[in-house]
Amino acid sequence: MLNVYYGKMQDVIYNTSVYFSNVFQKTWLDDEYVRKMIKSVDKSEVIGDYLIKSKALGMIAPTQLSGGVKTLILTYFKPDIIFNATTCGDNCARWFLDMAKKEDRTINLRHIMDFGDKDFEIHILNNDMFVHSMKELVLVAGDFL
Amino acid sequence: MRGSYSVVVSNNLMQFKFTVNRNITILRGDSATGKSRLVELVREYSLNGNSSGVTISCDVGCTTLAGIRWQNEIKEIKNSIIFIDEGFDFISSEEFARAIRNSDNYYVIATRESLFNLPYSIMEVYGLKNKTRKSKYQVYDRIYSEFYPLYDDGIITNKPDAVIVEDSNAGYEFFKAICQKEGIMCISAKGKTNVYKTVKDCECGIILVVADGAAFGSEMERAISLRKAKNLLFFLPESFEWLILKSGLIDGSEIQDVLAHPYDFIDSEKYFSWERFFTRLLTDCSKDTYLQYKKDRLNKHYLNKKEMKAIREAIDSTVDRDNWLHIGDGN
Repeated sequence: MLNVYYGKMQDVIYNTSVYFSNVFQKTWLDDEYVRKMIKSVDKSEVIGDYLIKSKALGMIAPTQLSGGVKTLILTYFKPDIIFNATTCGDNCARWFLDMAKKEDRTINLRHIMDFGDKDFEIHILNNDMFVHSMKELVLVAGDFL
Repeated sequence: MRGSYSVVVSNNLMQFKFTVNRNITILRGDSATGKSRLVELVREYSLNGNSSGVTISCDVGCTTLAGIRWQNEIKEIKNSIIFIDEGFDFISSEEFARAIRNSDNYYVIATRESLFNLPYSIMEVYGLKNKTRKSKYQVYDRIYSEFYPLYDDGIITNKPDAVIVEDSNAGYEFFKAICQKEGIMCISAKGKTNVYKTVKDCECGIILVVADGAAFGSEMERAISLRKAKNLLFFLPESFEWLILKSGLIDGSEIQDVLAHPYDFIDSEKYFSWERFFTRLLTDCSKDTYLQYKKDRLNKHYLNKKEMKAIREAIDSTVDRDNWLHIGDGN
């Protein structure tokens, strides 16, 4: 289940990029799921522990990944910490839904991320409500921003 | 600061080319489009100059703002374009709004968060569009990035069942009068922060939102998200006062010149948003005439046949030609 808290929140990692730089572990890039996320969002390919081949930037370090994919990786590996997912564009949305199918994840959103046209289940923590489509979500989320 | 500034930021792999027209520009959109890279290049240049390997072409200085000492740093920056990357929560604070209110700088802020303390325009919210141009001298294609606007100011193709007007003063009174003629319900949201809730609670079929585009940027995201649940249209001119000025009702050869390139006349130190400038301009230019304008209450002469027709024509020229305001003859 994906839990979302909309609006400002205490005890959330706001600057996910800085946090990523300081907690990154090289084994993270060995994970096939992480490689898929990097390929999907950044259009980049993991070459080694500290090396990524980016279509736009050439060979880059993990710290040069996009803010969105850094937040996805952090959410994937650190389920007990809540991250500011407003650093993620809509092209990250399906990955949050997907990883939360296997194990609960909680994110903080300060914008209305578009989770797509297919049905889903999101638990909105602000009012303990469950929504199943963007149509339902937009009628609730804006109240908390 | 006033004016419109063309900016080109480049290194061997990327080039960003865009124009900054007003005091506040917002960058958002998908991840991995280069927003942070743009700010990073500006930071490298501002720290190291030409020895950074970054080239910046702009008529004013470009620099960045970050971290917990932002309040001290911002005081030192004058007549510059300041770039701020996402990840710094001070941008949504009242302190930041106060600091930039009378600032002679322009700000380019990368964030998806709606900054409710800042009156930015819907026209200055951009995404980044990337394209490549082949170069045989580089291992990787150079990426050329441009800004593209995320919102437009209005395409109205159907007659609405209800019109929700952001304000409760002169603008609302004018649109209420039009709606009465057309047999359409007209509701005042009583402020831009109430637009989302007013639309959400409205049970009419097609809803048209009329708001001052010059300062509606922070509300636009949650308002437009309601399109997933409602049949929703937007008409977002700079402001109601801008429409009156555009209509030609007010004499003054300078007015049309100002409207053609407002950025050359609007000083960011004096006017936090363009909406306030247009209100001031209209108030001053109509003073001691039969069309003397006051924001808090509409001068009834604006509802005369000739005046109303002129403003409706100004609206027509702003939105899609097949819009609902053509219905009826405007009398």
